Amino acid sequence: MRGATILKASDDKTKQLNKHTLMAFSGEAGDTVQFAEYIQANIQLYSMRNDTDLGPSAVANFVRGELARSLRSRHPYTVNLLLGGLDPITKQPHLYWLDYLASLAPLPYAAHGYAQYYCLSILDKHHHPEINFEQGMKILRMCTDELQRRLPIDFKGMLVKVIDKDGIREIDYDSSKQVLSA
Amino acid sequence: MDSLVATYSRPAFENEGYSSDEQQELVQAMPSLSLSFSLPPMRNPSAFLRALTDDHANPQCPIKLAHGTTTLAFRFQGGIIVATDSRASAGNWIASQTVKKVIEINNCLLGTMAGGAADCQYWLAYLGIQCRLHELRHKRRISVAAASKILSNLVYSYKGMGLSMGTMCAGVTPQEGPALYYIDSEGTRLAGNLFCVGSGQTFAYGVLDAEYHYNLTEKEALELGSRSILAATHRDAFSGGFINLYHVKEDGWVKHGFRDTNPIFWKTKLEKGEFSNVTANL
Amino acid sequence: MASLLSSNPTLASNPSYSFSQAPQNAAAGNREHAFYPYTDNGGSTLGITGNDFAILAGDTRSTSGYSINTRYSPKVFRIGGDDETGEGAHIILSVVGYAADGTALKERLNAIVKMYKYQHGKRMSVKACAQRLATILYGKRFFPYYVTAILGGLDEDGKGALYSYDPVGSYEREQCRAAGAAASLIMPFLDNQVNFKNQYSPGSGVGHDLEARQVTPLPFHEVEQLVRDAFTSATERHIEVGDGLQMLVITKDGIEEKYFPLKRD
Repeated sequence: MRGATILKASDDKTKQLNKHTLMAFSGEAGDTVQFAEYIQANIQLYSMRNDTDLGPSAVANFVRGELARSLRSRHPYTVNLLLGGLDPITKQPHLYWLDYLASLAPLPYAAHGYAQYYCLSILDKHHHPEINFEQGMKILRMCTDELQRRLPIDFKGMLVKVIDKDGIREIDYDSSKQVLSA
Repeated sequence: MDSLVATYSRPAFENEGYSSDEQQELVQAMPSLSLSFSLPPMRNPSAFLRALTDDHANPQCPIKLAHGTTTLAFRFQGGIIVATDSRASAGNWIASQTVKKVIEINNCLLGTMAGGAADCQYWLAYLGIQCRLHELRHKRRISVAAASKILSNLVYSYKGMGLSMGTMCAGVTPQEGPALYYIDSEGTRLAGNLFCVGSGQTFAYGVLDAEYHYNLTEKEALELGSRSILAATHRDAFSGGFINLYHVKEDGWVKHGFRDTNPIFWKTKLEKGEFSNVTANL
Repeated sequence: MASLLSSNPTLASNPSYSFSQAPQNAAAGNREHAFYPYTDNGGSTLGITGNDFAILAGDTRSTSGYSINTRYSPKVFRIGGDDETGEGAHIILSVVGYAADGTALKERLNAIVKMYKYQHGKRMSVKACAQRLATILYGKRFFPYYVTAILGGLDEDGKGALYSYDPVGSYEREQCRAAGAAASLIMPFLDNQVNFKNQYSPGSGVGHDLEARQVTPLPFHEVEQLVRDAFTSATERHIEVGDGLQMLVITKDGIEEKYFPLKRD
């Protein structure tokens, strides 16, 4: 978006870092993609040099370090991140929440910006550690419906990606149906 | 000559102090029915008031008024559920954890309190007087639409003076059925099925919207109202304390408790496995 | 001299005015900026109720900035008494914040409670007085009394009653309340010692099974000791609190005043 004009309706705001780590970003225009590509390149470089992928925890801490370093430079990146991944060894899923001030928090569910205000209470209620994929998608639908219902913004579609033992894939997500408040 | 001068001249300090009318009013045991508020002697009283009391615009303001809230009300087939938290904060200081934010206007009308505590208390009490006068004059109960309009017209007449209130009027009358109105100090007045007001409104909306439908049973509706406030107290620092729950029916409202959030939170977490972001082990 | 005079049109063209009649033109807009009719005189007040009594207490120091104006200026008053000593009063009021507003508020409530008695031939109930105080405070909603008030008395059942207020008149009946400069030091102590917040019955369980300690009204001598402890501690840690502790205790036998010295440094 630039001013009040939408430049592109289907922009992918995620970057795949290695086989099973995905990073979603938001924040200052320009900063976001620059930083994400910088991180992506470095993680890929690590994979090539060592012929092994970093786990999500290692990636998250690396990203946090880079954000912290940037924060103390002349032009800090203003980027908020969500980093999800599957640990290649333990096969456990992990989610990390990072903001532009280089705070890092491992969480079962997370959001940035206005979505926090509307979605976290839904997730507090409906999320359980043992939910399966279908139940997860159902909760996601609750969240996106709530955003469509209450936020005075039209999202022009959502992009949903899933990380599991087979890697990362995008799935079809229809958000064209109008959701009205009761 | 001297007597002429004495007749037509005025002492220099005649206008100082209180006039006899003002003195009368100052010692009146009953407050006068016509509204009169004293104003600071200056051209722009509201700017003065803002500098003094608006901690949003000026965090160092000397007079901190009680603020911050989550309140909600929704209509369903069995009437109206009204639920609130009970915290009042002045800046970062929690001024009270036991505020009654549901104001019982009369035995079938409820008002909720968000924004300035004194504004809501005073004007909803005033609304109670007006509703009673309406009953006496017209020999029937006032409709919720009319009651809410009295309030919205009233606060609109003070617009820009610095009142701060976001309130909901809930009642059931024979002509309207269950009726719910949202009124705020900007002058907005809306009829609707479901409203959440206050700093924790978005969190309450999240839980409420996801499972709300008009045909909820009474038990489900009470549980959903209480759970939505719990969600807000968990995520919004300005909300907390106790959950105040009311159910409005045709024959008046019923109170369903003023219960501490902390035990409810732990019960919800441990028995239903919700709030999985809270872990005992680090 | 002529130019000096003519540069000020109000002086040059008019005779001198008494202040209240001074013209409100020209410079008034700029002068208005400096109009600030408030100050904070510091100090703290506190009220606690029991089964058949209510205590209101306040320190007696009055400050402005870092200076101490006086070491004895009472913050707790009798309301509705028959003469200036307050004899025959049945309601007590404490005010803290801006002392002049506090005095004005006290005078006004006192006059109203007396007028009520003369007009109705009976004493004003504490409940009615509490509501009336709220409307007095709200009457100055747009030019507030810079005070936090606490009202005490005995209710219709003879139980101790305490009402606390914000500057514009929102009020609530409570068991205990601290107000003023050291409210943030005293109130948590009161929550714990009067309402037994975060206290549990020993041996009632482990973790979430622990049962909260039952709240019971405290006897007078314990409450009095709590009040004294609260103020000696607040004096240790707050610069605006000290010098003396004035206490008014209301029971069915009337109002008793007590005074205890506090540290004067």
